[in-house]
Amino acid sequence: MTARSVKWWSLVHKWTSLVCTLFLLMLCVTGLPLIFHDEIDDFFKTETSARDLPADSPQAPLGKLIDAAKARYPQRYVQVLNWDDDRANVVNVFLSEMAESPPGKRFLKLSFDSRTAELIGEDTQEGGLMRAIRIFHRDMFLGLPGELFLGVMGLLFVTAIVSGVVLYAPFMRRLEFGAVRRAAAARIKWLDLHNLIGAVTLVWVTAVGVTGIINTISLPLFTAWRAQVMPELIAPHLGKPPLAKLADIDEAVATALRALGGNVPASIVLPTQARFGTPRHLIVWTKGSTPITSRLFTPAMLDAETGKLVDARGLPWYLRMLQVSRPLHFGDYGGLPLKIIWALLDLATIIVLASGVYLWLGKRKSLRRVAQVPGQPGVVATSGASS
Amino acid sequence: MSRLRHTAGEIFRWPLWLGVLTVVGLASALLGNDGWDVLSWVALAIPLAVLGWKASRAT
Repeated sequence: MTARSVKWWSLVHKWTSLVCTLFLLMLCVTGLPLIFHDEIDDFFKTETSARDLPADSPQAPLGKLIDAAKARYPQRYVQVLNWDDDRANVVNVFLSEMAESPPGKRFLKLSFDSRTAELIGEDTQEGGLMRAIRIFHRDMFLGLPGELFLGVMGLLFVTAIVSGVVLYAPFMRRLEFGAVRRAAAARIKWLDLHNLIGAVTLVWVTAVGVTGIINTISLPLFTAWRAQVMPELIAPHLGKPPLAKLADIDEAVATALRALGGNVPASIVLPTQARFGTPRHLIVWTKGSTPITSRLFTPAMLDAETGKLVDARGLPWYLRMLQVSRPLHFGDYGGLPLKIIWALLDLATIIVLASGVYLWLGKRKSLRRVAQVPGQPGVVATSGASS
Repeated sequence: MSRLRHTAGEIFRWPLWLGVLTVVGLASALLGNDGWDVLSWVALAIPLAVLGWKASRAT
């Protein structure tokens, strides 16, 4: 590589890093507790499990759960049912206060034993430090603009990673892998550590960075999909009177599962004014039953009055990409040891970011001195690139 | 510190293999449970161990 291209890549590395580092540090710090949010939630909140009943106990009709929820909160709207991820034989019913819930407003969650239809838990899902951290990590409390802004910071971060890899070669020309020089200047040691940790965490940090960027555009992606499928779904119902009756939910689920052979039900969206459903359909979200396909959700749309299947096409590639990118960002797909590894790599990334800032801050002061240390690779003096 | 000038192949050999291990680790836990999870932990722990080993020589 010529001295000129080293200089150019150094500039790219310096400026992309400088712009995004503060935000990346925030993401790494807030991301650390989020890795363990399941464990933290469990620690502070004890959720009642379903009762021990014989394994062949029949499931109660889902309609019974909906009726029970409606009877308890007649003023509210039943929006969604889901099969609890962590508790066997528990179905949660989510109710909103308004037909079209404002964004960010949490649903009231009623948990039922799915066999006895008895209410075992009630959760307003309001407040909580973990929720605040999650929202700050996602959008800094700025909604979609904040989310997209962090996506742009992510793009800069990926550019910084690429330029860092390019610069790694001239830096390591005369050094063994992982060499950390105990030089007079602390700067040299931190430069070597920056390069070492950066090289080791490269693939992980790229995976988490790119999947994070994909997550920031999840809302626009869903909006695009909705715009694509909604007109066709709603067209037959235009100008018709409002929904008169609701089809049998259990039959609707059975119909959906017949259409999507091999899948298991995950959740049901009832007819709604909200943006995650339609006013005229039941949406049965299903997922695969193997470890990898259990991350892939496929919806079946059914007519809310007749329960007839309307559509069970798969999702477009961009929503599949989004679904696969979620576990790779969260690190929640390989048990507690994987989460601990995620946390250690997150801490390593914090060191790379902080040492980058340190190297940049200390550069002007020590640049001349470094250049005069005999036997140092000249490139250290010419580029000061790792800041 | 070596006086030799390394080739690109030599420079990127370690990062490349550690990167391959990371890819294996990231993918295997997605592909299955139990044994696949263990493979994932081991594959991802090796780069961390190398990092710890190399960094510990700095002080």
